[in-house]
Amino acid sequence: MKQPKILLLVVIALLPLTLVSCISGGARLAKGWSGTAVHDGIIYVGTVDGRVVAINSSTENLEWSYSIAPVTAPSSGLSCGQTSVTTAIYSKPVVDRDIVYIGTYSGQVLALNMLARSQNLTFPQRSYGEWEWDCPIDNAKSNAIVADLLLSEDAIYVSSSNGRVYSLDKEFGDLNWESKILDEKHRKLWTSPVIQGNTLYVSTFDGHIYALSLETGELSDRSFESEAGFASSPVIDEDTIFLGSFDRYLYAVKIGSDLPMWKFPEEKPAGNWFWASPIVNEGIVYAGCLDGKVYALEADTGKELWQFESQDSRGKPAAIVSPPVLVGNLLIVANEAGNVYVINPETGNSERIKNRKNGDKPTINAQIRASICAHEDLVYIRGEDNRLYVVDIDKREVSWDFPLTIEE
Amino acid sequence: MSFLDVWYLIIGNPVLNVLIALSHLLSGEFGLAIIALTIVVRLISWPLTKRQLKSSKALQDMQPKIQELQKKYGKNQQKLQQETMKLYKEAGVNPLGCLWPMLVQFPIWIALYQAIIRALATTPENLLDLAHRLYSWDIVNQAIPLNSHFLWLDLGSSGDFILAIIVGGTMWVQQKMTQAPAVDPRQQSTSRMMLLMMPLMFGFITLMVPSGLALYWAVSNIIGIITQYFFTGGWGYLKFRSPSQSTQ
Repeated sequence: MKQPKILLLVVIALLPLTLVSCISGGARLAKGWSGTAVHDGIIYVGTVDGRVVAINSSTENLEWSYSIAPVTAPSSGLSCGQTSVTTAIYSKPVVDRDIVYIGTYSGQVLALNMLARSQNLTFPQRSYGEWEWDCPIDNAKSNAIVADLLLSEDAIYVSSSNGRVYSLDKEFGDLNWESKILDEKHRKLWTSPVIQGNTLYVSTFDGHIYALSLETGELSDRSFESEAGFASSPVIDEDTIFLGSFDRYLYAVKIGSDLPMWKFPEEKPAGNWFWASPIVNEGIVYAGCLDGKVYALEADTGKELWQFESQDSRGKPAAIVSPPVLVGNLLIVANEAGNVYVINPETGNSERIKNRKNGDKPTINAQIRASICAHEDLVYIRGEDNRLYVVDIDKREVSWDFPLTIEE
Repeated sequence: MSFLDVWYLIIGNPVLNVLIALSHLLSGEFGLAIIALTIVVRLISWPLTKRQLKSSKALQDMQPKIQELQKKYGKNQQKLQQETMKLYKEAGVNPLGCLWPMLVQFPIWIALYQAIIRALATTPENLLDLAHRLYSWDIVNQAIPLNSHFLWLDLGSSGDFILAIIVGGTMWVQQKMTQAPAVDPRQQSTSRMMLLMMPLMFGFITLMVPSGLALYWAVSNIIGIITQYFFTGGWGYLKFRSPSQSTQ
């Protein structure tokens, strides 16, 4: 009798431990999905292992790689103490002349000089214009930088998970101003600001679009409030802001207006969130949705012109996480399942770029979440397998790919 | 369909969506949603709890008879154990019955643990993953993203000592109220160990899991104490001295 009871006691005691250490289905570490940028024939991208790499698009060779210092974080599970964690990168690199700017999940903004990095000099080389800026945590849970950085002529604008927007001097990284906390409830500012005239517009998870002075960061009274939070970064075309919401609608808001100009769909909401920022071209809004569809809408009215459903290899709809891009007169859409489509923006007719090894498989054998970029007829994609894929739109094929995991 | 797919279809995603819907109904307070879910779970498991409470009450009523057996067979432990078990069997009582409601709740705990992490979406990956798990109910989508603050707690973070003490303390009280004192001295040490070990273990684990899950445990324990108090008409074994103590 005694033995079974002790056994039961041990089992009961161990079950909660199992709960903590084994059932990790809900927890996902921040891995990052940095997008790509191209400048003067060099592709810049953040990697899963916390690096910023520069790859020559002509020679297909690595120009340089800079490993961002790991951060210390509390150990997870049952172990105690601190552990060293690779810095995740969500923001895409932005390039201005010979400097590459990047924001990290550990709350830093780095300005990397191309020459200094190619010579592998100690970072930061101030004489080369390099600097780093640490975002304050400011009594928040995190100071992580998730949104893309925004560059203007002389400043760089940063949205932080502490709920504030910062303006930094582009040359030295000095703080120009910080906004008030824009989202007290969630603090997470995971959306990028956008500039129109001398105003910065920021969308928040608590359903606001705030207008801030570009010079001082002070709030103007031209803010807009919605019942649901905004999932995507705003995009401005002329005097209208377009952005997606967690209530599964895409909103168009005239700057300064209290009411939306239109919201799409008109009646029943879409199948999921409009997570990716839409793009606007010649009066047409192209919006990718997590329901797997791309919608083309009249920018003035929100009237649907066409819709296209992207799929995975089993023929099921696959979410569109990264914003579409235009290459000449073609719309390029990548879905989470790894398929890349070339779409006629006028008709919505599409063609899937086939996998060169096995046509039935997705275009690339990895998920696509990072923002993609296009230059001339090439589209640059960072897959979740930590590889860079270069897709030739003319030839409708993956031209080449490059492993971003670099072994020491 | 894998086991995980079935798990999320039947338990994981329903718990997640109900929790978020409750949060929207309760002014966006995720903490209140957890409390409401706890009450719902306790209501659903009421038949089991009722059975356990009846068993507990029966055990309490049997104590004089057990003490008689203690006096009668005090020197023959094997016989004492046999007779005690016979008495339990005749009364349809299981001294470890109080553990079953806890075991039955394990899938709920796991689902809740996952739901809290998913719903509060501390990383962009979590938030994106959440999009794929939400039902198309307006009430759910309008609640996103959730506010993780409740009272002094950040429901998505771990390491709150006050909550750990509350969880451990309430669990000890609840167990003490329901756990019948063992007759056999060897069983007594096991019972004592169990009585201390579980609250300590849960208090310790509270420091490592999101506070939202610990909030569920604390509220569940408090509801358990209240129902136990009113059902059995008092504090049960919390004020009861074990037979060995009373014979000393």
